[in-house]
Amino acid sequence: MRAAVQSAFGKYTAIGKVTIKNQVAYIMDFLMRTSFLVIIIYVFMQLWGATYSGEGRTIAGYTFTQMIWYLIISESITLATPSLSGRIEEEVKSGDVGYRLIRPVHYIGYHYSAYLGEVYFRLGVNLLVGFVLGLVVLGFPSFGMGWLGLLAVSLGSFTVNFLLNLMIALCAFWIEETRGLEFVYRKLLFTIGGMMMPLDIFPPLLRRVSEWLPFQTVLYYPAKMAVALDASELPRMLATQLGWILLLGALALLLYGKGVKKLHVNGG
Amino acid sequence: MAVIQVEGLTKTFRVKDKEPGLSGSVRSLFHPRFQEKQAVHSIGFEVNRGETLAFLGPNGAGKSTTIKMLSGILHPSAGTADVLGFCPWKDRKQLAYKIGCVFGQKSQLWYHLPPEDTFELMGRIYDLPRADFLARRQLLVDRFELGPYLKTPVRKLSLGERMRCEIASSLLHRPEVLFLDEPTIGLDVVVKQRIRELIRELNREEGTTVFLTSHDPGDVEQLCKRVIVINHGTVILDDSVGNMKRDFLGKKTLHLKLREEAPDLQLPGVEVVKRKGTGIRLSVDTTLISMDELLGRMVQDWRIVDITIEDPAMEEIITFIYSRDSQNDELKERCRREGELA
Repeated sequence: MRAAVQSAFGKYTAIGKVTIKNQVAYIMDFLMRTSFLVIIIYVFMQLWGATYSGEGRTIAGYTFTQMIWYLIISESITLATPSLSGRIEEEVKSGDVGYRLIRPVHYIGYHYSAYLGEVYFRLGVNLLVGFVLGLVVLGFPSFGMGWLGLLAVSLGSFTVNFLLNLMIALCAFWIEETRGLEFVYRKLLFTIGGMMMPLDIFPPLLRRVSEWLPFQTVLYYPAKMAVALDASELPRMLATQLGWILLLGALALLLYGKGVKKLHVNGG
Repeated sequence: MAVIQVEGLTKTFRVKDKEPGLSGSVRSLFHPRFQEKQAVHSIGFEVNRGETLAFLGPNGAGKSTTIKMLSGILHPSAGTADVLGFCPWKDRKQLAYKIGCVFGQKSQLWYHLPPEDTFELMGRIYDLPRADFLARRQLLVDRFELGPYLKTPVRKLSLGERMRCEIASSLLHRPEVLFLDEPTIGLDVVVKQRIRELIRELNREEGTTVFLTSHDPGDVEQLCKRVIVINHGTVILDDSVGNMKRDFLGKKTLHLKLREEAPDLQLPGVEVVKRKGTGIRLSVDTTLISMDELLGRMVQDWRIVDITIEDPAMEEIITFIYSRDSQNDELKERCRREGELA
């Protein structure tokens, strides 16, 4: 048993490691994308600046500085997540998914390790760029333990995002194009996932709806934890993430099982 | 001892039938009609440990489908298969540790990273103990002469260098059966030769069973001892490469150079393919005339300067087998149609 766990650990960390190395090879391309962060933050600073000058010092409990840091974090996470569905759709279409199956690695486990390796590496770079940017325009942030809060919910956030993405991607077994679904999903993250603004600003009804959906756990949770840490909320957030991970994980496995069966029977 | 046993293996795909045009597309959306397409039709064969087998057939003959069933990716519609004591589609994961696959048209190396990173990953994925992995890697690096490329990103390697890395990376876990799907596709003659040598060595020294598909007659001739030809999903030939070459056509090509122009030989089974001055090319059917008889007559009638006797080119044999099979098919098809009419 212990040996099996050790072997699995070795396999999947090796996959994560090689993905990170691969990311380093793409670093220039990636830094270009990160520079996009600077533009977005500039635009939002203007927007929120105008809003705050009309509304007063805080909006829904966030100061201007907190709001912009919130955006830096939520944008850094968004820009760190790769288009998993594009990648898996490509594998399903080209039949590469079959060739992955002949390795002694679980297909989802493979992609999950690769995804985590990639996403944490990119997040690190994004946060570094974002931090420097924030430092220049806003001054040193007063997150305190917020960094730890961010780290604590980040795994759950990425895992939920992975599972949602995976489910969209697995639809490629049945439909030709998953790009449309992915587009809708990304827009949902932008809005009720809390990328553009914290959920606290939403009108009560919309807020209640958003709280019953998984999207908030992906961006709102980590960004909120970083800029306005409330340690008492942490257990609830982690529990909510875990709940979604279990539910979505079960659904994704079910979908995967059906997809693989279709592959086995009809070659994809 | 058989490492692969296949019996009555059949695979039928359901293919969506779509009528042309927009209205056809819409109709197939609501009332999809399916057509049964038989990719592999009840094939059976055995492969023994240490054999080098060429698995041939024209495009669409069912080769890939068979390999996919033997490696566990596809479930068959009927029939059984046993690879190294496992049922591929039921014990895919256990089997994965014991087989290796190289697909000439798909890369398993990480494109932006040097090959050693992929090797490292493979070592982990196949649970190789560290010391064992290092020794094995060293052996393969030496044998495949990969030292100079080990630290170069794969995207900067030439196709030949890359292919050597591909094969080496699929050998790290010492597979007992190696499936090679067109390993020499797109390579130049020298590299092809080298790859064949390497596979031959591997087979000889480690007893690895080699299951190879290829469209290159040279692969078959120089690498394999046995050949299975399938077409339209059925096995149409299963024999040793030597037998196939000797018996199948029974034809030899003779190139002659004579001292002076002379009349043709009028013999059964001998055909003049080309004649230009004192040079003659003959095609001889050895089932109709024996070699000593022919040579006797030639020495008697002609004054020979030079003579070369050639076996039929593998390419010709394969072309012949394929075409013979499709002729048979046409015949069968006609019989069937006539039977239906009657």
